[in-house]
Amino acid sequence: MMTTINEITCNEKPQWCVGCGDFSVLMGIKTAIAELGIAPHETVLVSGIGCCSKSPHYVNTYGFEALHGRSLPVASAIKLANHKLNVIAISGDGDGYGIGVQHFIHIGRRNFDLTYIVCDNQLYGLTTGQASPTTIKGTKSKSTPHGVIETQFNPIASAIVNGATYVARAYAGDLKHMTEIIKGAITHRGFALVDVFQPCVTFNKLNTYQWFQERVYKLQDAGHNTGDKMAALARAWEETNSEYKKVPIGVFYKENRPTYEDELPQLKEKPLVWHDISNVDISKAYAEFE
Amino acid sequence: MVDLIWKMGGQAGEGAMVTGRTLGKTFTRGGLNVIGYPEYPSLIRGGHNTYQIRVSDAAINSPLQKIDVVVALNKEGVYFHHANLKDGGALVYDEAIDISKYPIRADIRKCPMPFSKIVAELKALPQMKNTIALGATLALIDYPFEKLESVLADEFRRKGDEIIKQNISVAKAGYDHAKAHFDCGTFKVKVKPVSDKRKILIGGNEAVGMGAIKAGLKLFASYPMTPASTLMHYIAEKEHEFGIVMKHTEDEIAAMNYTVGAGFAGVRAMCSTSGGGFSLKVEAIGLAAESESPVVVYLAQRVGPSTGMPTWTEQADLRFAVHASQGEFLRVILAPGDVNESFALAWKAFNIAEKYQIPVIIMSDKFLGESHFSTDRFDESQVRIERGKIAKNLKPLPQGGRFKRYLLTKDGVSPRPLPGEPNGMHVSSSYEHDETGFSSENFQMRAKMVDKRARKIKQLLAEDIEPPTIHGESMPQSDITIICWGSQKLPALDSLPILKANGIKANVIHFGFVYPLDAKKVKTLLKSANRTVVVENNSTGQFAGILREYVGFKPNFKMLKYDGRQFFPEQIAEEVKKLHDAGWKGKREIRVVEKEDVEYYYPGHYQI
Repeated sequence: MMTTINEITCNEKPQWCVGCGDFSVLMGIKTAIAELGIAPHETVLVSGIGCCSKSPHYVNTYGFEALHGRSLPVASAIKLANHKLNVIAISGDGDGYGIGVQHFIHIGRRNFDLTYIVCDNQLYGLTTGQASPTTIKGTKSKSTPHGVIETQFNPIASAIVNGATYVARAYAGDLKHMTEIIKGAITHRGFALVDVFQPCVTFNKLNTYQWFQERVYKLQDAGHNTGDKMAALARAWEETNSEYKKVPIGVFYKENRPTYEDELPQLKEKPLVWHDISNVDISKAYAEFE
Repeated sequence: MVDLIWKMGGQAGEGAMVTGRTLGKTFTRGGLNVIGYPEYPSLIRGGHNTYQIRVSDAAINSPLQKIDVVVALNKEGVYFHHANLKDGGALVYDEAIDISKYPIRADIRKCPMPFSKIVAELKALPQMKNTIALGATLALIDYPFEKLESVLADEFRRKGDEIIKQNISVAKAGYDHAKAHFDCGTFKVKVKPVSDKRKILIGGNEAVGMGAIKAGLKLFASYPMTPASTLMHYIAEKEHEFGIVMKHTEDEIAAMNYTVGAGFAGVRAMCSTSGGGFSLKVEAIGLAAESESPVVVYLAQRVGPSTGMPTWTEQADLRFAVHASQGEFLRVILAPGDVNESFALAWKAFNIAEKYQIPVIIMSDKFLGESHFSTDRFDESQVRIERGKIAKNLKPLPQGGRFKRYLLTKDGVSPRPLPGEPNGMHVSSSYEHDETGFSSENFQMRAKMVDKRARKIKQLLAEDIEPPTIHGESMPQSDITIICWGSQKLPALDSLPILKANGIKANVIHFGFVYPLDAKKVKTLLKSANRTVVVENNSTGQFAGILREYVGFKPNFKMLKYDGRQFFPEQIAEEVKKLHDAGWKGKREIRVVEKEDVEYYYPGHYQI
């Protein structure tokens, strides 16, 4: 089966700031789907609310733009309803690590076969630039005019600790590398996090393309063993431990573990949505009440 | 006519509920009608628990206040309940309790039970005193012991023959002791089996579960919350058998969003909660409305606001459900009045949700949800599965174009391709949108979409909203018409024979379809009443308000109760009689509060 990028491109053009990393992430997702040959109708792109959460409107697959913070529960249920579908959730750092973080914390241990792309621009973009959970300590923003007091949320370490089985980071300034990471996430059987450093050209004056360009290095070039959880955690802390001198990108951690869907005998034969419900026989259900 | 009320009281954790349900089945296996009614505090140990059984050979609907047999497993059981015994009633109690310090009336038959002695003699477990008490109960009322034997055999089947034998032998010891010591022959209430036909004894929550399963429920997402949890437990138990996924989610918000996602993906999906959880779900109920994803929400009400009284009953969330979530949108609220309606409204809810692509809320409460009622097997002959406009076999889309998922149709319902369907690609969204689902802030489109979603009501009212049901005398024949919704149908119905015995002609109008209402039809019906009283389990008369707002009908009287218990039939009858005796000129708002002075949460505050 062949899918072309044209086939999954809509007539409507994305409306993001010129130079926004979201363009790159969108292209990465479309390229990954096309290169993997997944049919447009077999993919569902689920988002929350935010700049990047507008992505489902610009990809001609099935899409669901949910509520702020809630892309993961909606995506999880779509996967449970029809586990044959390729389900990708996309959120921002405020959406996924702020208001919706409880879903993120719990989804790793469930290990649904889902891809979760977080466009991490280290602030709230659509609400005009407040500090987010991944904003660097000390940063001044509209909601933190005196500087952020909290330390950063570490999504990579969180995902590893909480049981995700594919934990990666990409950089929107390196489309080719990001596309490979996304392809790896889609083909991985289990919950895959791709945290994407995606510079906000309008509001983030600190974490710019240039800032990342000077700091990122690829884990694959550093001989990192993606099967070693402790080494992965050490790399996850490298960014802050090095005081932002070195920012690793690539796959931190990968593990093969049965998915949630694998563990459900009710899904063995076929997806729930294919079940015939025209005449469910409940006659045996009365006995326990007699 | 036989009408026995039995009540067991003991500490939380002593097993009064399980034992009560066992006794209930003992009676339903004799073809009798049974109501099992639990009361308990939000504690796992300590506090006070009761289970009340009402059994009759006639049709019954509700628990009553006065008791024939009290079984007291501890002194609280004696202290709190002896005064509610009828004349000549029996107090079965642990002989270790010194009852001389309580003002127990002379007419009450005192039946001290040597629980510890029997337990020691039969090398049984201390908690088996409940079973001993069941044996003693059957001896008093002369009910065949074999019925209890057969229930115990089934209940303990999984634990093996030894355990079955032991349970039967302790029950028999209780039976024999009562026969030998309590002059049972002279006890005035006797219960005889009427047939061998087995009825079922089922809770409102489980009846909703069976209805949902029958309707083809596939995904159930839930977070535990009393008094809705037993529905979650029931579905969890059945998920393999019926090919359902029951997901206990991380929180209430996730559960609602799972339900929306699953509804969008094309399976019948449901979640369950009580008021606190419903508060957390409201944003995603709006998501279901805006994205036109079918969802069914089960809301088992309890006492609010906030944590309130978690294990007690109320009907105070109706206005909340009618208005839940920002913006304006169509939703349907169903409120079953008994277990048969719980089954029926559950399967109907899924049809309505899918046919109109809207949220449907089933409102029950602790009283109906957690009490047990005998009935024949549910009427499955009426069940039909209507999935609405699911779009299949679609024409190829133009390059870069999308399926018109939100096509502006005459009936307001648009074709819905399910993800996975070729050529059906579209985006469903929380954002206002055009016909393809693409975000739009065009004023005309916005107004068209609001109107499209709203005009579904026309077909809904014509085809799926059922009229209220009328019970008792005809409208012109009745001096007073009792209007109720949801669970309060049960005490309202049982107030009718009491009123009749007092020479008052009355009937009951029950609303199971509470919102939206067919204003014209409802108004015509209610206008035909001589006078009306709305009976509701809340402090403001929420349904009375709904009737005034949407139907333009003002009832003559409101009767309200919000102390944590549902109405008892005697209370409704008493208040209606007062109105009658005053020539229907009494005050317009009547407030009923329990006179019984009990504290289930912390009995330690009493000198017991």
